[in-house]
Amino acid sequence: MIQRSFRQSETVDFVIVGTGAAGGVLAKELATAGFDVVALEQGPWQHESDFSHDELAVERELAMLNRAFEPEQTFRTSAAEPARVTGARGLLYRRGVGGSSVHFAANYWRFRPVDFKERSLWGPIGGTAFADWPITYEELEPYYTKVDWQIGVSGAPGPFDPPRSRPYPLPPLPNKSSGMLLERGARALGLHPQVAPMAILSQPRHGRAACQACGHCAYYGCEFGAKSSSLVTVIPKAVATGRCEIRADSTVHRVETNARGRATGVVYWDKEGTERRQAARAVVLAANGAETARLLLLSASPAFPDGLGNSSGAVGRHIMFNGYAYTNGRFEHPLNEYKGAVASRTVHDFYDADPARGFYGGGGIDARFPYGPITFAVDGLPPDVPAWGREYRQALSDYYTHSVRFMSHLTSLPVPSNTVTLDPAHPDRFGRPGLCLTYQEHPDDLRTRLWFVERTKELMEAAGATQVWNQPVLPVDGGVHLLGTARMGNDPRDSVVDRYHRAHDVPNLFICDGSSFVTSGRGQPTMTIQALAFRAAEHIARFARSHAV
Amino acid sequence: MEGFAAQIIPAVDGAPGAVELGAVRFVDRALGEPFFAGSVPVVRAGLADLDARARALGGRRGFASLAAGQQVAILRQIEHGDFFKAARTLVLIGTFADPSYGGNRGGAGWVMIGIDHRPSYTAPFGYYDVQAGAGSARGAA
Repeated sequence: MIQRSFRQSETVDFVIVGTGAAGGVLAKELATAGFDVVALEQGPWQHESDFSHDELAVERELAMLNRAFEPEQTFRTSAAEPARVTGARGLLYRRGVGGSSVHFAANYWRFRPVDFKERSLWGPIGGTAFADWPITYEELEPYYTKVDWQIGVSGAPGPFDPPRSRPYPLPPLPNKSSGMLLERGARALGLHPQVAPMAILSQPRHGRAACQACGHCAYYGCEFGAKSSSLVTVIPKAVATGRCEIRADSTVHRVETNARGRATGVVYWDKEGTERRQAARAVVLAANGAETARLLLLSASPAFPDGLGNSSGAVGRHIMFNGYAYTNGRFEHPLNEYKGAVASRTVHDFYDADPARGFYGGGGIDARFPYGPITFAVDGLPPDVPAWGREYRQALSDYYTHSVRFMSHLTSLPVPSNTVTLDPAHPDRFGRPGLCLTYQEHPDDLRTRLWFVERTKELMEAAGATQVWNQPVLPVDGGVHLLGTARMGNDPRDSVVDRYHRAHDVPNLFICDGSSFVTSGRGQPTMTIQALAFRAAEHIARFARSHAV
Repeated sequence: MEGFAAQIIPAVDGAPGAVELGAVRFVDRALGEPFFAGSVPVVRAGLADLDARARALGGRRGFASLAAGQQVAILRQIEHGDFFKAARTLVLIGTFADPSYGGNRGGAGWVMIGIDHRPSYTAPFGYYDVQAGAGSARGAA
């Protein structure tokens, strides 16, 4: 792809750190608005032809993920205990142009009005920094619609949907057997199943192919370009403006500031490990909830001793992952869940928190089968089935095509002591301090998970499963949704960015990604990350045009 | 390793098991790869332990020379240990990973568990969406 390239000695209008769900949108929108943009990405620039169905590389070696490059993350449940090096889990995200939007499952639920004002509706929750967002659903709605139409979302309205100003641009993907069974169970219980909105093309669109139902979405890059990642949607449009350079294999480790407390650009290592600089009139961070926090903390200086933009102390705090709870089931006939997109139906009857449950929490439920053949053979069978031998062999063929999981996607609360911090004792390959996750699940989050295990179990039984089994509800030690670590807010004392994603402390520093979230929503954050990015870009461009950056 | 792999997924009624699918060849190769380097000591020690246990039962040429029943008895003793877990995982990867890695010969591991392996598919996918009919399989909830 031929793209504009800028000399490092040039001061561009914007340097953006990250090219994922948010960074891709910001690059495209700011370049389209007429600004010169350099977007730096720490991973490689891969394309459809680089992706494969290779389960060993993708799911077990995690070849595309940060952990393949930076294995030394640490974890502890409180700051009082020593951090231990974690295995393959922890803070997970993809490195590469398009970020985690390349390997995500593509569930594109919008948040609902309640998600933005739940603190006011519910009240305070002990041990948390539960707060309203400084924006409302109504303010964000036009940008959700931009995501639908510019990215390409397939879906159909459901009974609990928030108001929308335009219909879905594409009809739903085919309903799978799992969706049929979730519907059957939900209807039997008097619930209201609906189409799962997916950022995957159900029909060809804008030169991209429709979904080929290959069954390799979550953790995989789409070989057909049908999954609406930043890589195949906004990044090519950003490049086509002639005003945007995507600079891959560039790991930013510092935002530089001057004596006036303004950001002047970023320092990064290129592919060869050579340190380079990119000067810019404004800096935009969209590196995800782990990397954005790390970069701000690494950019400490005498003027910003606790990290850039961190006078509130909120940088790296309140990390939220979204809880999960599920039940597995086997059915009489084959479902063949190895085909098709991740989910085709959802149940949103339990979305709102309900005081009658005795705790805060809510979520949505879908039907999916998160196993390739290797992962299923290793630990996918029910616990009472032999793990080797003739019976095991028979069970693999009895269960693989006949099983499914009903999966809940849940709230998680913003707890101030749940943090991403720097761990100098475990540096990465550049010598940069590694990431330490400190996390202890809030009691209401655990109660929410246990409650939803029961709901998914009831649904599975009502759907007619011949066998139902659960796995232990384990403590949370990481996740793929990295939310809340540079939260938005009106008060500079308890938030990092304002309602326009401008850092309270630095007038020409903007931060927009999962870190901006004030509350977690009910899973599926990428749709909202992109809506925030479309909205942020509009305001940032407005500020830049009026010399207010 | 061959005796071990044959007990994890045995051949039955002429259908190939892990060994026939090339899982042992995969494991030999994999243990030379950086990703699996951490498993090498535990696998080496575990295989030596299997042979030692076999000799204690009179199998002078090690685990592979024992009758199936004796092999099973030994594996029952160790099935909750680190070696069993690591070696089982390697055998399963060798049985179900992409054939380019040396196991899962001709994709027969996928066939074993019921996968109609193709690069892409067309709806309907399974019994329950077939049953719902092509008309309603697409579209409205």
